[in-house]
Amino acid sequence: MPVYKLCIKIFKKNISTLLIYFFIFLLFSAIMATSASNTQKELEDFSYIKTDIAFINEEESVLVEGLKAELSKVANFIELPDETEALQDALFFGRVKYILRVPEGFTGSFMDRQNVNLEKTIVPASASSAYIDLLVNKYLNTAKIYVQNMEGISQGELVRYLERDLSEEGHVDILAGPENSASSYSSIYFNYMVYPLLSILIYGMSALLISFNNTDIKKRVNCSPLSNTAINIQFSLANLTYAFVVWGLMVAFCLLVDSNNINSSTFYYVLNSFIFTICGTGLAFLIGSLAKGTQAVTALTNVVVLGSCFISGVFVPTELLGSVTLRIGSFTPSYWYVNANNQIARLTQFNFDTLKPVFSDMAVVMLFAAAFFSLAMVIRKERRYS
Amino acid sequence: MVVNVKKLVKRYDDLIALDHLSFSVKEGEVFGLLGPNGSGKTTAINCILSLLKYDKGEIEIFNKPMSPTAYDIKRDIGIVMQNVAVYEELTVYENIDYFCGLYINDKILRKDYVEDAIKFVGLEDYKKFTPKKLSGGLLRRLNIACGIAHKPKLIILDEPTVAVDPQSRNKILEGIEEMNRQGATVIYTSHYMEEVEQICSRILIIDKGKAVATGTKEELKEMITLGEKITIEAYGVPEKSINSLRDLPNISSVEYKESILKIKALKGKNNLESVLEFIKNENIQFANIYSELPTLNDVFLEITGKELRD
Repeated sequence: MPVYKLCIKIFKKNISTLLIYFFIFLLFSAIMATSASNTQKELEDFSYIKTDIAFINEEESVLVEGLKAELSKVANFIELPDETEALQDALFFGRVKYILRVPEGFTGSFMDRQNVNLEKTIVPASASSAYIDLLVNKYLNTAKIYVQNMEGISQGELVRYLERDLSEEGHVDILAGPENSASSYSSIYFNYMVYPLLSILIYGMSALLISFNNTDIKKRVNCSPLSNTAINIQFSLANLTYAFVVWGLMVAFCLLVDSNNINSSTFYYVLNSFIFTICGTGLAFLIGSLAKGTQAVTALTNVVVLGSCFISGVFVPTELLGSVTLRIGSFTPSYWYVNANNQIARLTQFNFDTLKPVFSDMAVVMLFAAAFFSLAMVIRKERRYS
Repeated sequence: MVVNVKKLVKRYDDLIALDHLSFSVKEGEVFGLLGPNGSGKTTAINCILSLLKYDKGEIEIFNKPMSPTAYDIKRDIGIVMQNVAVYEELTVYENIDYFCGLYINDKILRKDYVEDAIKFVGLEDYKKFTPKKLSGGLLRRLNIACGIAHKPKLIILDEPTVAVDPQSRNKILEGIEEMNRQGATVIYTSHYMEEVEQICSRILIIDKGKAVATGTKEELKEMITLGEKITIEAYGVPEKSINSLRDLPNISSVEYKESILKIKALKGKNNLESVLEFIKNENIQFANIYSELPTLNDVFLEITGKELRD
């Protein structure tokens, strides 16, 4: 297999340039990995925190004590003087997020089934005050049901019932939930992989194609007893070896770094990237057939790869891109590859129906691959006869 | 016959590159294909090697018809093209090893062949050099080594000395003679008549795709009427003496320009002697005098009416 061995040798000779791309990408992905794992950690470390509130009680009653005890589960009570200015300052400077005032005669009126209100002062648009609101409403609405339906119920009995009812917690079983999210490391990695994968494929294969396209070398090889078929088979085999080694290394790195999160999605990310690698090989073959020198390859790679990465959602999420940009981006295979990745990231169940759109995107990428290979063949044939 | 070409015709639209070209090369010959640039030498070689389709004619190599798939024939042919055809990425050794590997599968044998080729072209000190680091002459030698490493029976060299320094040129020519001595049949194309004259045992002169003349250098020179060229550095030669000189027997032409008297004589004996006697009788002052036998350029000039380097 002299041609195969030669191709591998030429790949090895160009390895320094290719390694630069590879390591820059690894560094970049390591940064992304750190960022993604920090987000994940923040989600896992979630814990309740108590809101600081001021509870001003103008009367003493069992019902109000019960409310206060319930609130104490989610709130810290801050002692403040009952003065308007002091209370406003406390809210303004963030010492408390919520001031709840129980007016005098509240309990009596409540037990007599009259409409009564508690007074509250809050920091506007505060999530914690909305949560306190919910708790107060839940307590009093439940109490109201007992008062309206159990005539003559005592405050002690009412508070006992409320304690029992409110301590009940609903149990939720998540039968199907997302195994990962669009912001997981794998999802980001496989999207960003477009750039280094295409760059490394194009640079490596173009260098080889340029050498092979040299008319004088071609003549010399054609004078040898090696048949054209044997030459083409060995040449294609070498290119495929190169493409799959590059792909394999990139995928292996991701699986290594994100080994804790390997799940069903990972398989489809890998499959999607495999199909994209075939398409990238076609693109590299086309560029290598078109370009007549390494400088032309660099120029074409920058325009084609960088350009498509910017408009197809590789560098900038598709959500942030305009509709016109996305429409233009849809003429590039990377758009469909990223689209498939994003869909995989959103999937909670993996069956043929849910995967149908993913497979459709993969089919489009395969069509691009076929187009690239066909075009490259036509160009090579034209050149051969000219 | 090692190579037999019969009535080869190759057209590029209206241009006839090869016009019923016929020739044959015998085993053990160094066969020269001589002609000016654009005369059809490279086209003929490309057709012989099946690198180019031709319109008419027949080509046989080792008594078998040559075709793009005649791999058994190709196995015994070595080719050295006009332009250097090597991989920039590979070293001298790797390049020779690769091209030799297209013919020789056996690793041990190939290693010996590669070493022999390196030694043959004198690149022992440059084995690990990439082509970029080699001078023009060394590159040409590498080009030759890549073409002959597999020890072919027929070696075709298409203007291998273009843009080569004299030292490398001599080395290349000596190498070709050595390969021939070792048993290889050689086809050598060039527009340098001195090279062809120096190494070729038989020569085909080609012009506008047509075979103009063929034979050994002696046979070719016999074909023309020119026998001798006499050049004399002479001062103040009167017109009358020049005309009298033209009337001497065997003298075909006389030119006098800037104190140089150029005399062409037909084949015959004592031409120089009779010219010298005439100069002495006419009391013409002269400094240098020398006589040359006709060259292939003279052959080409007499047959086609133009110089080889036109």
